[in-house]
Amino acid sequence: MANSNLPRRIIKETQRLLSEPAPGISASPSEDNMRYFNVMILGPTQSPYEGGVFKLELFLPEEYPMAAPKVRFLTKIYHPNIDKLGRICLDILKDKWSPALQIRTVLLSIQALLSAPNPDDPLSENIAKHWKTNEAEAVETAKEWTRLYASGA
Amino acid sequence: MDSEEDMLDANDAESIDDDFDHSYYRNNDDGADAYPDDDYTFLEEDADASDIVALRRPQLNYAVLAETDIRQRQEDDITKVSTVLYISRAEAAHLLCHYSWSVSKVHDEWFADEDRVRNSVGLLDKPMIQLSNCKELTCGICFEFIPRNKITSAACGHPFCCTCWEGYISTSINGGPGCLTLRCPDPTCSAIVGQDMINKFASDEDKEKYSRYLFRSYIEDNRKTKWCPAPGCEHAVDFAAGGGNFDVTCLCSYGFCWNCAEEAHRPVDCGTVAKWILKNSAESENMNWILANSKPCPKCKRPIEKNQGCMHMTCTQPCKFEFCWLCLGAWSDHGERTGGFYACNRYEAAKQEGVYDEAERRRELAKNSLERYTHYYERWASNQSSRQKALGDLQQMETMSLDKLSDLQCTPTSQLKFITEAWLQIVECRRVLKWTYAYGYYLPEHEHAKRQFFEYLQGEAESGLERLHQCAEKELQQFLIPDDSQSKEFNEFRTKLTGLTSVTKTYFENLVRALENNLSDVDSLGGCSETNK
Repeated sequence: MANSNLPRRIIKETQRLLSEPAPGISASPSEDNMRYFNVMILGPTQSPYEGGVFKLELFLPEEYPMAAPKVRFLTKIYHPNIDKLGRICLDILKDKWSPALQIRTVLLSIQALLSAPNPDDPLSENIAKHWKTNEAEAVETAKEWTRLYASGA
Repeated sequence: MDSEEDMLDANDAESIDDDFDHSYYRNNDDGADAYPDDDYTFLEEDADASDIVALRRPQLNYAVLAETDIRQRQEDDITKVSTVLYISRAEAAHLLCHYSWSVSKVHDEWFADEDRVRNSVGLLDKPMIQLSNCKELTCGICFEFIPRNKITSAACGHPFCCTCWEGYISTSINGGPGCLTLRCPDPTCSAIVGQDMINKFASDEDKEKYSRYLFRSYIEDNRKTKWCPAPGCEHAVDFAAGGGNFDVTCLCSYGFCWNCAEEAHRPVDCGTVAKWILKNSAESENMNWILANSKPCPKCKRPIEKNQGCMHMTCTQPCKFEFCWLCLGAWSDHGERTGGFYACNRYEAAKQEGVYDEAERRRELAKNSLERYTHYYERWASNQSSRQKALGDLQQMETMSLDKLSDLQCTPTSQLKFITEAWLQIVECRRVLKWTYAYGYYLPEHEHAKRQFFEYLQGEAESGLERLHQCAEKELQQFLIPDDSQSKEFNEFRTKLTGLTSVTKTYFENLVRALENNLSDVDSLGGCSETNK
């Protein structure tokens, strides 16, 4: 259905994602909609998310690559730049999007965001506040949530 | 002091500038219809007074620009920059656009550090990469192998195919005026996508849009110019600071405030007008929602709803002001030292000092007392509709009645200007009077002396204006009926109407000044208010 007239670019990106996946990232298109990707990102080592497997969904809108892909966390995560609906505060998903970016670069940026939370530009105010006032405790909560929701069990 | 009159006389003596013509109004306390003969004694004196007023009137500190003027100015500025900096016109246009169309700013920045300017604007003087001479190259967007001759790049050299350029440029132009600062699609590259590229790849419709944005940017991004807000009007106003008031009148005859873009509202200040208009909005639910859920952009005042994201707000084009949601201060003032970005210390400190609570408390008070509000609103609105009616009457007068009157009274129309002037004065007075009701609504209840004085002045203004309006509307009618030899009476009418126009004009000008000074004369009189009445 939605897969007819799939741009060559999307096909090429998909092939490359499957054949040379970025470390700690897997992205595979849904069988009935080649614009919808099931994504998994492993929590980066030495981050509070280490050991966790985070599920995301990624959708390529009709205008892609002129418009940015839509990405959202499905797994609950305690992170100052991700809200409780899984929405992500990341400039390249909004006004800094460029058609020269790709699914791969977007997912790598999200992975980097897990390694380096940025409470100075928060999406979830409470979590950001927690992070700024008592980082050790916030990190503990993030680890706890990782165990609770992202342990892949 | 034991009477209001005394208080006012004392006030007169202290302030020559605000010498309201009390003798005139005092003689007419017996009603608007009465015109005792001695009414006319003041008229001769008043001729002098109006001359003084004419001398006091400030020079126009603004210019109204038509589309051709705007284009001419824009072209001239581009030519200036392009000649002085020895760069192409397209490059000059980008520079000007980047520096808010200020020629002097462009010159200053450029001669201070050309490389830095080139970097921040994205005007590269040499390519960042050299393309290989292969027959085919990979387009950075669609990933296809594309013949060399179908690949293009901006000054930087990053290769993209023509089809992708078309898509990239079309998406950007249809995304709004941000297309004026479009950069190379490569995320690491800041090279500007110039007008040459736009001309090459955009559809005719998009080219038209782009040039329209460029044209509009000249007015909207320039700090000294604004569009006339009247519906359908395409003029702009160039405003020179200084002069004390912001009222401007466009060539389309719409009068507006240059500062807040609402209709002209002297003597009331912009803040009061904004409050008043917001209060008047019929959809009060809507207003409550806006109050509860939005904050105005600290720069352009548009209400902004924050429905997600961080505290770092960027207002939309053309304002683009970056500010902190919590304290509404400029984002450039923020950083670690203000407590980081998520919990602004300025906000917390101000909140502890009660600044925000106070603002909220005042908002609450203003929302209450519906009855009091209705009183002022009805009078505000009825002066508004009187003004509209007077505008219509003026038009009818100019198109029909004046010619008829000229025939009947054997007077050239050039000698009938006094009638038009009377009507123009009525229109202006209705406008002022209307805004005095917004002023009155926000005048604090506890300032009794001020309130009394204000209400007295307002009452006198009302009745004076009624007199003028009555004379221009009713008394004129008899001279429009074909009859014999009325010339003597018509001359008397002329004297009377001219006199009333002049006196009312002076009174209202003084009223405007007094309210703009926030009735400061009353303060100087001290606490005599309680003993009055």
